[in-house]
Amino acid sequence: MKRTHRRVPYGLLAPFALVFLLFFAFPFLYSLYLSFFVNSGGTNHFIGLRNYGVAWQDTNFWYALFRVVYYGVVQVAIMLVLALALALLLDSRFVKSKAVFRIVYFLPYAVPGVIAAIMWGFLYSPQLDPILAVFKLFTGGNPVNILANGHVLYGIVNMAIWEWTGYNMTIYFASLTSIPIELYDAAKIDGCNESQVALHIKLPLLRPTIIMTVVLSIIGSLQLFNEPFILSSMTSIPWNYTPNMEIYNMAFAYGNFTYSATLSIILSVITFIASLLFMYATSDERKTKKVRLHRRMAKGQAGNHASEVRAEGGEVV
Amino acid sequence: MSVTGPSFSTTSLQRKHHARGLKNSAKTLLTMALVIVMAAYFLLPLYWLLVSMTKNTTQLFNTPMLAFPSHLNLGANLRWLSSYQGGIFWRWVLNSVIYAVITSCGATLISAMAGYVIAMYNFRFKRQMSFAVLGALMVPSAAMVIPVFLMIKSLGLINTYAGVILPMLFNPFGVYFMMVYIHEAMPMELIDSGRIDGANDYGIFFRIGMPLIRPGLVTLLLITFVSTWNNFFLPLVLLNNSNLYPLTLGLDIWTANLNTAGAGQPLYPLILIGAFLSILPMLILFPLLRNYIVSGIAMGSVKS
Repeated sequence: MKRTHRRVPYGLLAPFALVFLLFFAFPFLYSLYLSFFVNSGGTNHFIGLRNYGVAWQDTNFWYALFRVVYYGVVQVAIMLVLALALALLLDSRFVKSKAVFRIVYFLPYAVPGVIAAIMWGFLYSPQLDPILAVFKLFTGGNPVNILANGHVLYGIVNMAIWEWTGYNMTIYFASLTSIPIELYDAAKIDGCNESQVALHIKLPLLRPTIIMTVVLSIIGSLQLFNEPFILSSMTSIPWNYTPNMEIYNMAFAYGNFTYSATLSIILSVITFIASLLFMYATSDERKTKKVRLHRRMAKGQAGNHASEVRAEGGEVV
Repeated sequence: MSVTGPSFSTTSLQRKHHARGLKNSAKTLLTMALVIVMAAYFLLPLYWLLVSMTKNTTQLFNTPMLAFPSHLNLGANLRWLSSYQGGIFWRWVLNSVIYAVITSCGATLISAMAGYVIAMYNFRFKRQMSFAVLGALMVPSAAMVIPVFLMIKSLGLINTYAGVILPMLFNPFGVYFMMVYIHEAMPMELIDSGRIDGANDYGIFFRIGMPLIRPGLVTLLLITFVSTWNNFFLPLVLLNNSNLYPLTLGLDIWTANLNTAGAGQPLYPLILIGAFLSILPMLILFPLLRNYIVSGIAMGSVKS
């Protein structure tokens, strides 16, 4: 279909190829190279795979990895239920001023993660004693310190829920808007009420979108850094709380760049494999559909941009 | 528009018709209550920030947290913010603007050019290019921060504007987004007809292609702008000269000093008003930007 043009404007490709090499390929290869060395007395000595052996026995690194996976599962589970519920509610006929709520829910996306962490850090601080008073009802009047060690992960979960629920709801809502209305009419004729339609028609049709958001959120949580890093000045969060925090501190607090590079390589590869597994698990049946949907969406966007996309955008998975 | 699927025959009128039906006021009431409670959850921290930036340190700890103080200290806080360390806060604002504007314009242009060639031409490395884009998409940028730091260091660009901006010009999501968008938004015949009219391939892209794909460009520009404005990890690693900090990094340094003994007067009011000012442009523009951003996210949601 696409014809081969004799002249190809390689000049248009060149800037991307350049930044790809300079800021993706070379850094990765350079880190891979560095990971075979150890630095002592200012010079690098080749040690083969020994850094990887150290990493293999770095129980804290794997524990930190386990922690962010656990964090991801908890956070995604709660966020997903909330986002789905909100999308379904906003898609029902029981809600007025839907447009206003959609903007309000999406608003935290505009707030930098750093500012969100600072805000919630203040809100959690027992000195200000804010909403925490509510928790005292459950603990027999004992003060609750979310910033204490045992709870702080859930404090971060709450921050992430606050930041990303509206974002995910927006994706679900876009998906819902693209469900053909005939389905609803048929269901009505069969005597379904609103909640049955939501459970038996809308939810199953959202399934591919849900799978995608789940896995992407968990992959994203492997990279957790900003929130625990900001909170570490207010709490006893250790320097190696998440994989990325260990990588950062290994380099900048301990000056061990070779080992930090080793851990970076391991984390990148793990994320890459997780993404591949995800693509493999979700792609087979939708490969052809995806192409078609992209085509439709792009056509819509070229026309009346915003409204068309709201109607079609969500289908893309 | 008339391509496929029953969903496209649906008009908003039909949707309204679907939405009508038996009104159930009890259900409406319950649902509205739920929806409003959630709205409160999303808005309260922002409202708290709005209230808190009008307080001085004493008021912050001694007045009800969601009530404005009897005497507003907004003016005093603002003056303190503007004079503290020679008004370094406004320097950070300027830096954030510089980083975000240059990065979003540059990354969007680079992505559009690459996406255009990959979408519209057949060439020898087309497959490899597409794989490179998808592969890079699958490694989140946070995992690459230390490798990128080492690269920037060997280029001698630590503590420079260029050092922060250049790595962010690499935006595989942008290329993927433009690839998909241009593939569908631009007819192949355009290149042929442009050639007949005597234009070369570059002229065709810049004079015919760019105007055609403007909605996609704006969407990508806004998404990149927001993510650069919010970026933290990369500048944290690449900068240790506070004159070059973006807002996120500057505010984090003030926050970290709150609990450091001997760091001087605690800067609570500065952090709070600074945080509010740093999200204010976003909050004001948000209703306008939202449609673009949402469509971009929905379209590119293959990557978070």
